[in-house]
Formats: sequence, C-alpha cells, structure tokens
Amino acid sequence: MTIFNLYIFDRNGTCLYYREWNRTRQSGLAKEEEFKLMYGMLFSLKSFITRMSPTDQKEGLLNLRTNQYKLHFYETATGLKFVMNTDINEAASAPNVTALLHEIYQSIYVEFVVKNRLCALDKPIESEIFHRKLDDYIRGLPMFATKTSS
Amino acid sequence: MSRQSNRGADPRKVSGELFTLTYGSLVAQLVKDYENDEEVNKQLEKMGYNIGCRLIEDFLARSSVGRCYDFKETADVISKVGFKMYLGITPVVTNWSATGDEFSLLLENNPLTEFVELPEGHSNLNYSCLLCGVLKGAMEMIQMEVAVWFVQDQLKGDNVTEIRVKFVRRLEDAVPAGED
Amino acid sequence: MYGIYIINRAGGLIYQYDHNMSRVEVEKTFSYPLELVLKIFDEKVVVDFGQRDGIKVGHTVLAINGIAAVGRQLEDGRDIQELIETEENYPIAIKFGRPKLTTNEKIMLAGMFHSLFAIASQLSPEAKSSGIQVIETDTFKLHCSQTLTGWFLCVYTFVNINNSIKFMVIADPKHGSQDALLKRLYEIYADYALKNPFYSIDMPIRCELFDTSLQECVEQAERMSYGGV
Repeated sequence: MTIFNLYIFDRNGTCLYYREWNRTRQSGLAKEEEFKLMYGMLFSLKSFITRMSPTDQKEGLLNLRTNQYKLHFYETATGLKFVMNTDINEAASAPNVTALLHEIYQSIYVEFVVKNRLCALDKPIESEIFHRKLDDYIRGLPMFATKTSS
Repeated sequence: MSRQSNRGADPRKVSGELFTLTYGSLVAQLVKDYENDEEVNKQLEKMGYNIGCRLIEDFLARSSVGRCYDFKETADVISKVGFKMYLGITPVVTNWSATGDEFSLLLENNPLTEFVELPEGHSNLNYSCLLCGVLKGAMEMIQMEVAVWFVQDQLKGDNVTEIRVKFVRRLEDAVPAGED
Repeated sequence: MYGIYIINRAGGLIYQYDHNMSRVEVEKTFSYPLELVLKIFDEKVVVDFGQRDGIKVGHTVLAINGIAAVGRQLEDGRDIQELIETEENYPIAIKFGRPKLTTNEKIMLAGMFHSLFAIASQLSPEAKSSGIQVIETDTFKLHCSQTLTGWFLCVYTFVNINNSIKFMVIADPKHGSQDALLKRLYEIYADYALKNPFYSIDMPIRCELFDTSLQECVEQAERMSYGGV
C-alpha cells in the first residue's frame, strides 16, 4: 500500500498539519486553498451522509474511493479530523487505515502536541518532535510505499 | 481497565503528595497575589479550563469511550471513568433535576484537599475550583456547554463535597469559511 | 439495497427510486418537563441530545398526539416547539423517527453529490483520478458509476454493508457484483428511457417500462445476493 498524504484539521476547520509522502500529483491550488477545499468537502460529505443514511449513524463517514486513491477518515469526539489518502488496496489483507489514524491520534498527537503545553491547540503544529515521530512512524509501517500489484 | 493497571505500574507515576502539595502552593500563591477570593476562584477555574481542553484528548485517546448521546451517560462517564482515571476516586452521581439536565457529583474524599485547612477570612475561596474549570473545558471540547459550581465543600464544614453540573447547550461544528 | 439515484451531467436528479427503506418510528407519552433537547435543523424539529427508549439523536418529531408534523409545525398549524414548551399540553404523545427525504431534499442532495464528485477528483494525490466511486459509512455504502458516452450519467445504489460484505466474499472481492448491477441499470436506462422517442435527455424520467424493468433488476440482484449466502 502507498501512503500519499495526511491532513489533520481541528473542529474550526484550521489545517493543523499537512504532510505528504508519495504524492505524485498536486491539485494545482495553493496549499491554503487546498486545505479549505478538503475541509469543505469533508464538511459537505458529512452532512450529505447524515441525510442520506437510511438508519441511525454512529461514526458516519469511513472512507471514499475513486479509481486512483482512497481517502480514509477518522474523527474524534472533540472534532479533530484525520484524513489519509492511500492507494486503493481492496485485498483482504489490506491494513485498516482508520485504526492507524486512531493510533496516530493516541500515541503521537496526544503525546507530543496536547501534552506539550507550549503547543497551541488551535494553530498549525510546528513541533519538531511531533513531525519527526510521525514521519518515523509512517515510514516504519510495513505497508509504507509498497505498491500493490493490481 | 487494563490500561488502568498498566498505569499503576508506570515508573513515571508522580506521588499523590507531591501533586497535592504543588496544587496547594499554587492556590496559596494565588491567594497572596489577588485581593479577593472571587478573583482567585476565577483564576483557578481558568487554569482548569485550559487543562480540561487538553485532558479530554488524553482521555479520549486512552479510554475507549465514544460519544455520549444522553446526559445520564455523560455523568456516568465523568464519574466512573474520568474521575477514576485522573484522581483515583469515583464520585456518586445524584440529585438529578426533573428535566435531567443537572446533576451533582458527591466526593467523599477530595484528593486535592487532603492536608488543607482554610485560613480565617477566606470563606468565599473555592479551593478546588480548578476541577470546575477542568470539567467545563473538557465538556466544551465535546460540544457540550455546561455550568459547573460548588454546592458543598468539606473544607467549609460540610459533610461531603458536592459539585453541581448543569447542561447549558450543545455547540455546533464550525461551518467552513465562505460556505453556508 | 436502499435506493437508486440517476443524475444528469448538470447535477440534476432525473430519476430516484427508494427500495426497502425501513422506517424507524418510536412513539412515547411524556410528562412535563420534557427531558429531551430539541433543535431546529433543516426546518424540522430534531432531537439534539438526550437519547432514550429508542429515540435517537437526529430523530425528527413526526407527530404529536396523532397529528402529523409538517416542518416546524403540526398539520393544524400549531408550532411544535411552543407546544412542547407549554406545561398545559402534557401528558403529550410524541412520535419520533428518521425523517423521510422530500423530493426537494433529494434534488438538493443529488446536486451536492455532483459537486463532491468533482472535488474528490480535484483533490486526488494521483494523476487521472475519477470522481467518487464508492463512499463507505458505518450504515451504508454508496456506489457510483459515471458513463462516458458523450454525456454524463451517475447511478447510485445504496447497499446495506452487511449484505455487500457477504456478497463480496461469496462472489467477487472487487465489488464486481455492484459494478455489474450499475452496468445493468445503465442498459435499462439506455433501452427504456433514451430509446423512447418521447423522452427528452436530461429531463426527469417518467416512463412506466423503465420503472418496472428497473424494479425487476433490483429484485433479481437482491435475490442473487441473499441466495448466495
């Protein structure tokens, strides 16, 4: 599986963090604009799904897929939104990316941003240690950058 | 619950005495710095609020508690999971209002006040006001505005310490800029 | 399966079919004061907090004392929120449930999907991405296929996740079954709508033959998926 990029938004729509690994195409927008568009899409998508759902929902959106990528979504009760784009791996052995996003929240975001009193929670994350831990974690994943042959 | 026990064995665990003493000197310093008790209460609550905003993330990350859809459920989680996790006590949830939007937490032992005697002339000081702020901050992060205040305090001669929590309203997610 | 939407290239809804929409409804008699927190959402009175007895957050007030609700009011013109806040009206029997989508809402949602479809393609980290093909949520899965024959058509099917997972295991791990269904729907569209000389392209489909064959096709697909399990 290939990991393309990761966005972290707070509940006000501020993009707290963005990082890309194997992204091959840019959207052609300035980064700020891209963040706004991504947040806007998620916001509308959530509202779309709530209305469309035939039964009561708990988590709501899990992921969406096009013919080129799959967007995985994880939202905490505090409204933090983690978005990771990967390639489309439909194999049964494909790792559960939502669980992975939870892990990033639990072991990296909470530990190195929330518990660092000097990191503002509503501003983009500038912490070097957060950046390094996250990068190490992603690159250390067994699935990192292994193209699935399909 | 396994997390809980792991935590007990954590070598980084801070002693309860050190914590209560630290908190105590903080309050004592504030009492020195500010003219009146109301101002000290306000400062304590503000600090608590900032702690709550962060603590909630740690709480959600560690406990497997999901979103609450009912205030009764919320009260239970605060007492049985939240207080248990961070203060090692489980307050009794009681005195529900008729509309179910207000309840009390009864603390038999408040770890913050273990060695404390309030000095003369500070009858308005809410020594543990930090707790109110923590609850308020944490709840606000999960889209619930609440009011929290002390009703009874063992430090003031009451039999039990009672914290009252009132549901005010639900907060909405922010709408993206330039969209309706 | 829950339903099918067909959307034209401009984002207009030209056909919609609900299938197996199960209705969740709960009626309960309350005494004053009401323990539920209600709010106005989409011009409806919705439960915001205080889930209990099968009444869930997100449910809408459907009726009070047997009188149906129309938006924020009852059929007899009384305001729902006012009614609920007045103590003299208690005990009160309120019926809650998931609201049925109105035609206008469906049209709006179709337009919404149309733009989401385009944004998803624009935000792709890889070149040559299509729009949204599948959206997965915890309660339903939406499949969409876009036809490329000169103009634009979208078909959505809502599939109960449990069914589709079972289906995938038995049939094809690559959602082949849903793709086949979407393709079949497209054929039906071509046959009974496009080839009908009285049907004008891009306009809502009102052809009986189209309706019946689409229903047949959906039922057949369902029999297959249940039969396979």
